[in-house]
Amino acid sequence: MIETRHEFLECGVEMAAAFLPDRRVVHFEFRLYAGAAHEPSERLGLAHLVEETVTKGTERRSGRELSDAFDAIGASHSTWTGRECAGFGSTCLPEYLEEALGLHAEFLRTPTFPEDACSVAVELAEQEINSLNDEPRDLCDKLLARQTYGEVLGRHVLGEPETLKRITRQDIAGFWQRMYVPGRMQLVLAGPVDWERTKACVESLFAGCGGAKSSGREPFTFQFNAQRAHHQQETEQEQIGVCYPGVAVPSREFPIERVLLGVLSGGMSSRLFTEVREKLGLVYYVQAWSEHPRGAGMIHIAASTTPERCAETYATLLREISRLADDVTEEELERAKTGLLARAETRGETTSARCAELGNDLFHYGHPVSREEKLDAIREVSVEDIRRYLHEHPRDQLSVLTLGPSQLEV
Amino acid sequence: MEGPFAHHRLANGLRLFIEPMSGVRSVACGYLARAGSRDETPETAGVSHFLEHMCFKGTPRRSWERLTADFDRLGSIYNAFTWKDKTAYYGWVPVDELEPQLELLTDMMEATLPGEEFDTEKQVILEEIAQSGDDLQHHLVDLVFEKMFAGHPLSWPVLGHERTVGRMTREQMAEYHRSRYSADNLMLIVAGRVDPGEVISLAERICGELLGSGGQTHREPPALREGTAVQQLKRFNQQALAMVFPAPPAGSEHEEDAQALAAILGGSNSRIYWNVMQEGLSASAGATHLDFHDCGLLAISAICEPANCESCTEALQAEAENITQNGVLEKEVQRVRNKRRTSLAVEAEAPYYRLMQLMDDIDYHGGPRTIEQRLAAVDAVTTESIARCLEKFPITERGYFVSVGPRDWPEL
Repeated sequence: MIETRHEFLECGVEMAAAFLPDRRVVHFEFRLYAGAAHEPSERLGLAHLVEETVTKGTERRSGRELSDAFDAIGASHSTWTGRECAGFGSTCLPEYLEEALGLHAEFLRTPTFPEDACSVAVELAEQEINSLNDEPRDLCDKLLARQTYGEVLGRHVLGEPETLKRITRQDIAGFWQRMYVPGRMQLVLAGPVDWERTKACVESLFAGCGGAKSSGREPFTFQFNAQRAHHQQETEQEQIGVCYPGVAVPSREFPIERVLLGVLSGGMSSRLFTEVREKLGLVYYVQAWSEHPRGAGMIHIAASTTPERCAETYATLLREISRLADDVTEEELERAKTGLLARAETRGETTSARCAELGNDLFHYGHPVSREEKLDAIREVSVEDIRRYLHEHPRDQLSVLTLGPSQLEV
Repeated sequence: MEGPFAHHRLANGLRLFIEPMSGVRSVACGYLARAGSRDETPETAGVSHFLEHMCFKGTPRRSWERLTADFDRLGSIYNAFTWKDKTAYYGWVPVDELEPQLELLTDMMEATLPGEEFDTEKQVILEEIAQSGDDLQHHLVDLVFEKMFAGHPLSWPVLGHERTVGRMTREQMAEYHRSRYSADNLMLIVAGRVDPGEVISLAERICGELLGSGGQTHREPPALREGTAVQQLKRFNQQALAMVFPAPPAGSEHEEDAQALAAILGGSNSRIYWNVMQEGLSASAGATHLDFHDCGLLAISAICEPANCESCTEALQAEAENITQNGVLEKEVQRVRNKRRTSLAVEAEAPYYRLMQLMDDIDYHGGPRTIEQRLAAVDAVTTESIARCLEKFPITERGYFVSVGPRDWPEL
């Protein structure tokens, strides 16, 4: 049975589907190459404002009527903005797929950006920035990203108060006009999808709106900044954020890195949880993960603790990062691999997870990659691979940010 | 029992519920202990949650290192949570791993609470309490419960207090554990690609040794208070506001009405979304129905700029008054039904989602409910039934107004 299919349609939309014929729902997502990194530097926050306002009115319906139309078919609808893309997704019963696609095409193609919706979106973005300042973990991640990735990829999607103030309805409509074209669109579906029928539907929905030439897929480059900074804030806990370069998703070393992250932070028997939390009781929260702008990778490690225990927590985190190359065991490796493989059958098996996986394949590889191929690559990782990876990617250049009432003494 | 479920009671009193699911490759199972913060004493506030952590810290058959390594060897997605009236432990694994998964979870029910681990884990809990102190929403929820249920155990925070956790002894916890984690106070729930007969045999073998009987659960229904409470916390930038009213308990006549009302008032594409958030008064506002077996709450809440407290509160009150006076529209009720149809289809494809729902159904509705039964329940909601619910549980009077943030508002 064919697992997936992928095609650039005549209208310009890049479309792919994961065929899951027995499912009771379809999940799909339009991903547009129109994220924070595409914004003019004096209009930061613009991509998110377009995402917020594009659904607030079309040539045919008011924003409220559009939401009612989604609800009339029971389609749950969600939107997001990231560094390089914005996403518009829905989950619906299979019989409503074409109707739901039609509603997406309606707001993606014919938004009216009502003046009041634009000004409210700016106002709410300013409030969300204030709210983010009340969330120490998120604020630490935001400041660390800016420090590490630099001016373009380090932008926060909410923008900055001073750049938001400048954004007008005209800016919003202009960004939409340049960016929301079929050539920058990727549509990914998962579930009981009829390819030919869905393709014909999408072709007709996006026919004749121009901008069919594939664009916006060039990766952004950045220079990793190994810096250390402290953000003073009156909080009960001190936030610690550490990051250093990893590998890009298409890299042959990516499966090795995934397993390594499993060893470091996969389950409750992983290194960080065991050493920092369970043996020493230093933290409640400790985590490692990777982030992947297209063509790049970054390993993140984070923890939060009360200020007097911050130095010991930080030292323990560094010790765990550095000693891995010397003492990672076969047993730890097997546990981490099992975790990754098993999750493909549990959490990774839901229709929305399958859709997200395919979307990520297109984003990073430019085409679908067979699940079995990815799982085989995990199965093949050996302790020697891990050691070689750690040897070839020294963790001596770190970007570090602490946030809280007292500066970390190192 | 009706429907596709299997139900079995072991000799030691443990009740077992099984839902076989088709079209999935995994199985989720979990223990539900009738042990939450409302079962604690003022001196032991936080013991249920602390015990939940300690169940991962050593069992008669495994050290904590071995226990977590064994979970991870299965590739399990496992964890636990504690709430006011329950503690749950669960694992979600590929279908072949059900047996070892059940062994591990059962082992945890007999946790040995090693003294040294007790002291270390206490530090972790104190860090968790400190972390919650940096969370505005957490302050709001704690204050709502503290005031609304004043004098009743539901008023205590699930995490306990720094003081009570700091002073807690291993012996106090052991006593609580003995009285709460007996087989007759636990339920075992399994959902996924399983054969019920095989699961029952497994449970007979693995869970049959759990101690039969502990203390009796005795829960007094609370009297809900009215009033206004303000907690000024200058270090936050935004103000969190909530208007909270008595609402139908779980499993009672108007439960579905209250849920539909909360969705129409403050869910996605709701009145509050369009008339409060999209008027720029709050970036985060909504309504929630929260219920227990003997009481319920309907909370209308928002996070706003301190300068917007008055206008945001007025707008929320206006929505409550409007819906009370004019009722809900048929098309609004229909939207709730439509959305439920899709969310139930999503739930049916993941054993973990089903497990969480079954835990609620069994605890609050006396037994599991099929997807079809839950669909029928929401289909039975009408504009009239919501009006009757509002008459019985008004949302314009008899509530508590709570405000937390940098402003000392309203002045009391």
